[in-house]
Amino acid sequence: MQSVADPILVVDGVSYSYLDKFPALVDVSLTVRRGEKVALLGANGCGKSTLLKVLDGLVFPDAGSYHAFGTAVTEQHLEDQQFSEGFRSRVGFVFQNSDAQVFSSNVRDEIAFGPLNMAMPLDQVKRRVDDTLEMLDIADIADRAPYQLSGGQKKRVAIASVLVMNPEVLIFDEPTAALDPRTQHWLMELIVELNRAGKTIVLATHDLATLETLADRCAVFSEDHRIIADGTPEDILADRRLLLSVNLIHDDDPMHEHPHMLIP
Amino acid sequence: MTSTATPAWLLDSEVGLCPCGCIGTRKKANLVDKTIAGSASLLRRAMFADDTSAQPGLLQRVDPRIKVLSLVGLLVVTSLVHHIPVLLAMYLATLPLAVASRLSLRFFVKRVWLFIPIFTGVIVLPAMFSFITHGHIVVPLGHWFGHRVGLTSQGLRSAGLIVIRVATSISLVVLLTLTTPWVELLAALRALRVPRMFVLVTGMAYRYLFHLLDSVTDMYTARKSRMVGRETDVVAGRAFVGASAGAMFGKAHALSEEVYSAMIARGYNGNARTMNRFRLGVQDLVWVTACLAAAVVVLGWDHAIGR
Repeated sequence: MQSVADPILVVDGVSYSYLDKFPALVDVSLTVRRGEKVALLGANGCGKSTLLKVLDGLVFPDAGSYHAFGTAVTEQHLEDQQFSEGFRSRVGFVFQNSDAQVFSSNVRDEIAFGPLNMAMPLDQVKRRVDDTLEMLDIADIADRAPYQLSGGQKKRVAIASVLVMNPEVLIFDEPTAALDPRTQHWLMELIVELNRAGKTIVLATHDLATLETLADRCAVFSEDHRIIADGTPEDILADRRLLLSVNLIHDDDPMHEHPHMLIP
Repeated sequence: MTSTATPAWLLDSEVGLCPCGCIGTRKKANLVDKTIAGSASLLRRAMFADDTSAQPGLLQRVDPRIKVLSLVGLLVVTSLVHHIPVLLAMYLATLPLAVASRLSLRFFVKRVWLFIPIFTGVIVLPAMFSFITHGHIVVPLGHWFGHRVGLTSQGLRSAGLIVIRVATSISLVVLLTLTTPWVELLAALRALRVPRMFVLVTGMAYRYLFHLLDSVTDMYTARKSRMVGRETDVVAGRAFVGASAGAMFGKAHALSEEVYSAMIARGYNGNARTMNRFRLGVQDLVWVTACLAAAVVVLGWDHAIGR
């Protein structure tokens, strides 16, 4: 397990509503420390994805504050090119919908998009792209167009497009959703490996089966968009009443088993 | 414990397919069916041109920038030529080029001539008649208000000129698009100083057209899978097309917001950057020389025939 270190992402009393009338986050506070694997757990529509977007500086809270690496992340600060480049290169976001993330006309361009935007020298971009293609075992589809890829391949490309920027924090929105078991297993292994390599992981999920592998801390969302529990996966999974109250399990469900605990 | 009550009718089986086989009346696909299925399949086929651009043919070896420039040049030459035999020769010259580029001649010809009757034929048809283009009537069609009506030689010549000019132009464009991967074509446009934003937006529009096309096909298939009887209600068909268009608009909007977020998340700040760097080779020089020579010969011949 990673040693617990300094806080790098700090969300304090954040509230956010869509169109000013549909609340997505209500007075949410969360601290993510360097090297942690934090899972945001909750039923559909509880606000997990919105909080991830706040963490990535894609939406800005109506109330409360968000600090990353000791600096407030606001719309105004992100208009500053130097801050924006620094923040974007340190925090990477893998979207749930790979189709939204894989927008370039071929895989190689897609992976190069981030580093090129960071104004990295071209030869370095090429080297990184090649290394990332190799690492994620997608070198054979480097020149393919996104519409020629399967769902699993698109997910790999989406991850590669973020990893190539070598971010300190990796944010995954529902990483295992709509993937076949083999790809799910590969992705879980990758997340664990990246965390071992020192990356901080924040992910949103409602998949309890993957929790103990993918997280060493869980923040549980209630259906009224608040974080109502924060603890280890073991503690959270053992609290049947909590899981029932946030609609993550059904009365009829047997106690949770862990079919994915295959990764050492 | 909460449970969902299952209605009794859901537990009974419905009368399904008659065990006596296919003896019912056959139904033809209606206009909505045909239009959606047809446009989806046509667009899909058009876009999978990447297969032909990967063939080791003549034009596939030429640098995309050179191909775009030479094509624009040849299109200008085509528009300057005023004699049918010259244009016909230009059109015929595209056929060996297609073959040398490993394109199926039948496919190539079909692709060009499929659109000409639809788009050009309708426009040039009236021009052939004596009441639009006056002149010597070669195909008399009768009398109208005491005047002879028919097809005039001048009208036929004008129509023929337009049709063959369009056919030659389309052939050249088809040669370019079938022998150049879309990605390289966009990169070539960028290298030729076409505004970055235009190229980026075009590339993304092309990429998401596929995605939205899949959604249209899914919606259509989902509707079709729930249709049992023959659809006779034309209004309902139109309502479906309208509703689908609305739904697609909403989906496209949501997707565009998500794509933009994904771009911002990776540091996009309005400046698109690409990795493409092209290098010119001997084959490019040969191709440019050949195009220039062809342009000189064609214009010279056209001039020699005179107007």
